[in-house]
Formats: sequence, C-alpha cells, structure tokens
Amino acid sequence: MAKVEIRGVSKSYALNRGDSVLALKGIDLTIEDGEFVALLGPSGCGKSTLLHLVAALEEVTTGSILVDGEAPSLLRDQHRLGIAFQDSALLPWLSVKANVGLPYKIAGRPVDRARVRHLIHLAGLAAFAEARPSQLSGGMRQRAAIARALTLEPTLLLLDEPFGALDAVTRRRMNLELQQIFLERTLTTLMVTHSVDEALFLADRVMVMSGRPGEIVETIAVPFPRPRRIDCMRLEQFHQLTDHLTLLLEH
Amino acid sequence: MKKRVVYAVLAQLAILAAWQLLARSGAAGLTVPTPASVLKVYLEPRFAALLYRSALATLTAAAKGLVAGALLGTVTALVAYLVPPLRPGLDRLAVTINAIPAIVLGPIFILLVSRELTPALLAAISVFFLIYVAVASGLRSASGRLGAMMTTFGAGRWQLLRYLDLPSSVPSFLSGLKVSITAAMIGSIVGEWFGAPTGLGIVILNTMQNFEIPLMWAAVLLVAVISLAGYGAAHAAERFVARRFSR
Repeated sequence: MAKVEIRGVSKSYALNRGDSVLALKGIDLTIEDGEFVALLGPSGCGKSTLLHLVAALEEVTTGSILVDGEAPSLLRDQHRLGIAFQDSALLPWLSVKANVGLPYKIAGRPVDRARVRHLIHLAGLAAFAEARPSQLSGGMRQRAAIARALTLEPTLLLLDEPFGALDAVTRRRMNLELQQIFLERTLTTLMVTHSVDEALFLADRVMVMSGRPGEIVETIAVPFPRPRRIDCMRLEQFHQLTDHLTLLLEH
Repeated sequence: MKKRVVYAVLAQLAILAAWQLLARSGAAGLTVPTPASVLKVYLEPRFAALLYRSALATLTAAAKGLVAGALLGTVTALVAYLVPPLRPGLDRLAVTINAIPAIVLGPIFILLVSRELTPALLAAISVFFLIYVAVASGLRSASGRLGAMMTTFGAGRWQLLRYLDLPSSVPSFLSGLKVSITAAMIGSIVGEWFGAPTGLGIVILNTMQNFEIPLMWAAVLLVAVISLAGYGAAHAAERFVARRFSR
C-alpha cells in the first residue's frame, strides 16, 4: 500500500517551431493509503497522461509526484507497480497463464505457480489458463490483464480505462468482478475512466477533470458503503451523483 | 480441394505436352530441348552423378552462406538494438554493402580469399543485408502499448528484448529467411561462375559453351526446384509461426 502525493503537476508537449501544448495544469491530488481514486474526464483531457506520469512512463514538466516519499520511477524499478490498459496489452504468443506470470519473469523472480493459478481463478479464467489471448473474448482479455496487474502484489495499482472498449453489459459485470477482487485486499488504486457509473461504483473518491488543459474541477467522496452491490446503482443518491457528474463533464 | 489438385496436375501435363510438341517440331530452334530429353539426362547415371555432385557443392555453399549471413545479420541487428547510437551507422553500412552489386565483388573474393569460398561469401553478403533489415525492423515491430506495459512492470532493456522484442521479431525474421534462401542460391551460383572447382553454376556455364542443351536445362531446372523447395519450406514455417504470433 502506498500514499501518492501529486503536487502542482503540469505537463506540456513541444510542438513544431517552439510551440507547445499544455495537457495538464496545476494538478494537486493526494491518494491515501488503500484508497481507490477514479479520475473522470472527457476524452483528451489528459487523464491518461496523468496516469502515465504516475507510472513514470513520462516526466512531469513542473511539480512533483511522490509515492511514499519516493519517485515513481523507483517504485517501477522495484516492480511495485501494477497496470492494466484499455487494450489489455497481453503478449499474443503467450498463454493466459504465462501472461499472468510475466511480471515474475520481468522481475527476475521464480514464478509462483500457486499464486498465478489463484489469480486466474479469481479472474474467472480457470478453464482458459492455457488459451492464448486471441482465443478469448474482449472481457476475458481484460480480466487476464487485471489479474496480471495484481501478480506481484503491487504497492500501487493503475487502471487506464480497463473496460473502456467493452459493451455496457459486460462492463457492468466486470465492475462487479473487479470490486469482488478488491474485497479480498485493500490496494491503493488510481483508475482513469470516462464512465460516470464505473467511477461511482468502484471508487472511494471521484475527481472530475476539465477538458484541455486538464484541471481537477471537483472532488466527490462516494458515500456508498462496501461491499457495493449492483443495487446501489438504483439508489436515488446514485442517480443524483450521476446527474451531477455528467453535468460537470458536459461543461 | 481434390478437384483443384487434379486441375493443377492436368495443367502441368498439358504444358509439358505442348512443350514436347513445340520442341520436337523444331519451331523454337535448336536450343529448346524436349522435356523427354531433359528427363533422360536425369536417368543417365553419368549425368545424374555429375548433377548430384554439383548440386551438393552448390547447396553446401548456399547453406554456409545462408547460416553465416543470417548469423551476422541477426547479431548486427541486435547490436543496433542494444546500442542505439550505433544504429544509423550500421543501417548505412548495410545499405552500402547492399548497393554494391555482389557480382563485382566476385573477382575480389577470388583473389582475396579463394575460388572455393567465393560462392559461400557472395551468398552470405546478400543474406546478411536481407536478415539485418528483417530483424532490425522486427525488433521494432512490437506495439508501443506492449512496451509501456513491460516498462511499467519494471522491465529493463534486456527483459524488453527477451520477453517482447525478440519474440515480436520472429515472424519478420522468417520472412527475411524466405527471401534469403533464393538470394543464397543466386549468390552461390554467381560465385561459381568466377571459377569455383564444382557446382551447378559451373555445369550451366560449361554446358552452355559446349552446346549440351538437355544437360544445361536439367541443371537449370534443378536449381529452380531446389530454390522453390527451400522457399516452400520457409513459407510453411512462416505461416505456422504467424498463426502463433498473431494477436
């Protein structure tokens, strides 16, 4: 578990002829130990950029990001980050089992077969352990990717629209399953999404970002107790929050 | 499926029959032998032994060149991958080597190395470029998403190479190998023309000068069959691997 402190972070990209475009502006955000934060925003608002900065895939232009007081790149080099992308990013020539075990190989540690089996079971893929990604449905691939993100018991879990490419029904089922996985452990998590439902259903706190340059315009503490069931989406309060957030996104 | 095979065989037989008639009639001149006379060459023990010996020499030289060129091309591409500053220079070197027609290097190799080794060397040079280009581009073919995933899990250069970029380059390597087989045969035969002691290239050259038309055609046909067989084997391997490595 970890505490993430994002202080005054901005990110700009150089364009041709010395011009630059500002993608993120003055982001301040603290994710407490064991907290699940969802970043909600319209496409192109820089929310994925922020996630990439936390994953040390890109560098901040100004400001700082610290995880338990350390640079994110250090966390990454110690194999303490877990990540799942929108397009699953499984290695197509490996089986589900080998893909879920891949982080062990990257870290140069012996593969813990029992843990890999447990994670595959948790992701509901026990019957598909030997299947290759091309033989799975989109939803199954995403579950495998999330299982892989959990392999090394990461300090910090990053989810980059993990269900963004799925249809609404599958997506809802995935959200339930993901929350099931989170009931087993508390894990500091940062998720990027453009789905209001998903953010409210999964997160402890929802941050709403504006369009470019991305700024945090509102923070909402989600009041629903855990474990959340699908019924909670039918609560009057859920609808009110959904309307409120949707309105913010449209501005 | 079965029908298609039957049609294909029938078409081949029809072409052979037409060729036989054309050559027999003499309308195509003296230099076009009948298929029957070419076939007879293969059945004649003296010629069969000569062709076998020569084919073995040509194949050995081509195989040596293929292995050496493929190894060198792969290693050079790996160096370019692992030491990025060297890449532009190595790219230019490979292109320069390829820009020189291999045939003009023949005489240099004959004098510099030996008549025996020139066929394998010419084969190796053509193969080197093809494999270098195939592996170098294959090592860069993995999607940025996969690279970002590996990096986030803490992969360094070696892990990226071993678990992502090397497997990603396999299909491209096999495509390169496929064209390399034909290139190695060409290199080997051209190399023989500069005066190697034996080989199908020598047989083709000598029979042309001695007007032994059926033997010349038999040798040319043998080269074609060997190249096609190599190409077919590499193509099958490529298809098999492509299925495994596709997403």
